[in-house]
Amino acid sequence: MPQQLLKVVRPTKIELIKLRRRLTLASRIQKIVKDRVSILILEFLQIAKQTVEIKSQLLAEFSGTYKALSIAAGYHGYIALEKELIATERDLEIAAGSRNIGGVRIPAFELKEAQGAIRGYSLVDTSSWLDQTAQLSEKCLETIVELAELQRGLELLGREISRTKRILNALEYLIIPSLQATIKYLYMKFEERDREEKSRLKRVKVLLEQR
Amino acid sequence: MVSELPYERLLQECLKGEFRVVNAHLPGKQKTLSDLLAEEYPHVLCRDGSTHLFKRKELKYLASLITADEQKALLLPMLLEVSAGQGEVAVICLGEVEEKVIAKILDMSITPRQRKIVLYRPQLALVRKLLRASTQYLFSPKSEV
Repeated sequence: MPQQLLKVVRPTKIELIKLRRRLTLASRIQKIVKDRVSILILEFLQIAKQTVEIKSQLLAEFSGTYKALSIAAGYHGYIALEKELIATERDLEIAAGSRNIGGVRIPAFELKEAQGAIRGYSLVDTSSWLDQTAQLSEKCLETIVELAELQRGLELLGREISRTKRILNALEYLIIPSLQATIKYLYMKFEERDREEKSRLKRVKVLLEQR
Repeated sequence: MVSELPYERLLQECLKGEFRVVNAHLPGKQKTLSDLLAEEYPHVLCRDGSTHLFKRKELKYLASLITADEQKALLLPMLLEVSAGQGEVAVICLGEVEEKVIAKILDMSITPRQRKIVLYRPQLALVRKLLRASTQYLFSPKSEV
């Protein structure tokens, strides 16, 4: 691809200095953006791996919970179980904040642990099967919150990677090459001017000698 | 002969903004591990006004690695300095506690270089996996780790 030259108002030394400064800045930014992309990719892959793990963990937990629930339902009967479970409803407390990974703000959730909280059902009328079901359901909730955080993070990181890659490509294939080409063009222009000056002086010298 | 790129200036502005974006999330003030453990919702305020939330599980894991006195000295979030053009990342290590924590996580002895612990990519992945909320990236324009 032929390198495009930037618009130079006048081919002067001042312009050359300006362009060289811009090239330095662009190269520095390119290095930072490159690092950022590699960090974002590293994080993306890690989160992707973790998401898969958490998802399979959640499926296993769900199947365990449903098993425990069906055993509890079989033990107590649906009507009795439902009667007990009506009282167990409670609000969940989730702390929401954010976490930043290389300039990408990712939501962070933390399920508040209900320490020593009574589950709501009568411990006298129920069995340990129901306790186990409740315990497993709480674990499922924690995993769901974790999965939500990871999935959103994955989405945001993916979007940012594609945006940053475009910037990096613009720098690598457009801005830096065009700056280099313009600087080269200016050098050639100066050399040409020098040569013109030299030949002009020679011509003047010859003319003076002829007089 | 000389062509003009109309969005060239726009891109320049956009790129200048990159520097601001990548480091805007740095904490205004780091907190010690013992302070964070005492908080109901462990967090620090960042320079851009956002809140960086810590995971209690991670804090407990960190607390299990060090003694109670060291918990008062460990400043969080730990900063991971990414220097331009290098394949490595450095952990800014103000005391011996960071060194001890990283050494225990990586399960190897560590010698800090100019108050920095150099981490290579696989090591970085391990540290970030275990301390996702307790570490933060710092992008440095300098090209040395």
